Amino acid sequence: MRESIVIDGLTKYYNGFLALDNLSLKIKNKEDVALLGPNGAGKTTTLKLVCGLIRPSSGAVYIEGTNVFEEREKAISKLGTLIETPEFYPFLTPRETLSYLGRLRGMEEEKLEDRIEEVLELVRLEKWTDVKIEKFSRGMKQRLALAQALLHDPPILILDEPALGLDPRGMTETRGILKEARKGKTVFLASHLLAEVIQVCRKVALIDRGRLQAYDRISNLERKYGSLEKAYLELTEGSI
Amino acid sequence: MSEFEKFKVVTRYELLKQLRRKRFYGGLGITVLAVLLIIGLYEGLNLPAHMGIPERYINEYGAEIFAMCATSMSSLAVLAAVFFSGDAIAGEFENRTGYVLFPNPVKRSTLVIGKYSACLIATTLILLVGFLISTISVLVLYEEVPIGILGSLAIALALACCIISMAFAFSSALKGSMGATIATLLAYMVIFPIISSSLAQAGYTPWFMPDRAADSMSATYDIPLEEVFGGWMRGGAIPGMVQASEDPFTSFCVLLAYAVVLLMASLWMTNRREMI
Repeated sequence: MRESIVIDGLTKYYNGFLALDNLSLKIKNKEDVALLGPNGAGKTTTLKLVCGLIRPSSGAVYIEGTNVFEEREKAISKLGTLIETPEFYPFLTPRETLSYLGRLRGMEEEKLEDRIEEVLELVRLEKWTDVKIEKFSRGMKQRLALAQALLHDPPILILDEPALGLDPRGMTETRGILKEARKGKTVFLASHLLAEVIQVCRKVALIDRGRLQAYDRISNLERKYGSLEKAYLELTEGSI
Repeated sequence: MSEFEKFKVVTRYELLKQLRRKRFYGGLGITVLAVLLIIGLYEGLNLPAHMGIPERYINEYGAEIFAMCATSMSSLAVLAAVFFSGDAIAGEFENRTGYVLFPNPVKRSTLVIGKYSACLIATTLILLVGFLISTISVLVLYEEVPIGILGSLAIALALACCIISMAFAFSSALKGSMGATIATLLAYMVIFPIISSSLAQAGYTPWFMPDRAADSMSATYDIPLEEVFGGWMRGGAIPGMVQASEDPFTSFCVLLAYAVVLLMASLWMTNRREMI
């Protein structure tokens, strides 16, 4: 099976602080992998590197065989991303925002309009299509962020804490959307919420202090450690 | 999809953003008010007579002198350009909108140039309104329109390009939008004038300084400035002040050169900047 994402020996220093230490991962096509770890483990740094938002101190990332740091535009055209809690231009409406992003991603005019309606309905923002985003709550922005990630129907989804800022109902709905949206896609999701990880992904890459501690199927980790929670606690023990 | 197509998309939506902001309409209102104020006070207080301009020059260059005063919009060009551009790059990092914008298959240079074009169009719209009011006024009052207005507009636009580039450079380098805006204003309104005045006092012609190049907005009307304004101050004009703005074409080129160099610097810094 061809790899969708190959992370090859990624190391990242922030002003001398080692955030990621020689991380290597291979994520196969249509696989769903959660990047699990405590706060400050290097999850967001990894996802930012995969999206080409930051440059590595050493190492490389390949998206469907294309090096992100050499052919960035080609590589990230395959991605739908939700990194940290993004903000949107407050003066634009969701329709205008998605229209802007869709056009940048080369979507055709006629298809774009229909797809905008579709994704806004999917994230339950259909009644807010033409309302300026300045009126949106954090949860609504998070839904819109998910909508823009799914807009161009990308083969790979990169999601950083997708349920962050959502109320319990929103969290449940988001997980439901992701379960549906992941079909036929590769999902690489960063989270420290075990419940979210178990519901959305089948495989886990557990990192701590920038180092990969385990990379296996959740079922295998549960068999080995008793539960994913125990695996998490054991492998990240003494990190804080 | 070519980068040019993407550039057009970025420009279109960035312009939409600018036109939705209150500051655009604030800038427009201030421009209209300022131009009307200049025109009203010029005529109402009969300023040429109070400025010590000899009668024969008032008769000969009345329309040109009026147009020169009515189109003295360098400050407005600077303010409009700064307020549209200060947050153009820094805002993407500071407000986290870059997390949505940057992970798209578009070069950062295309984003920067698209944003630049949108800022320039917004500034141009404001300047055009100011120049239109000035042109109509001179036509109504003097029944002629000096061709120098076009030269003055060209220099105003070159100044806008220069200031937008400067704001983009600061916006690419600094963390915050406010810092970039203040740094641009300080550079243009405090630092550059200090250097220019010092050079002029030392006997050098600071034709290469952007603030002095901008003064050429008043030198496009073929008015003998030294003679007309020589009596404005005791002992005549400050040495270097009038001479420094004698060559509008050179000034135009100087401003564009600053615009190009600073935009290049902004592109370089934005390309290297990480979305941390």
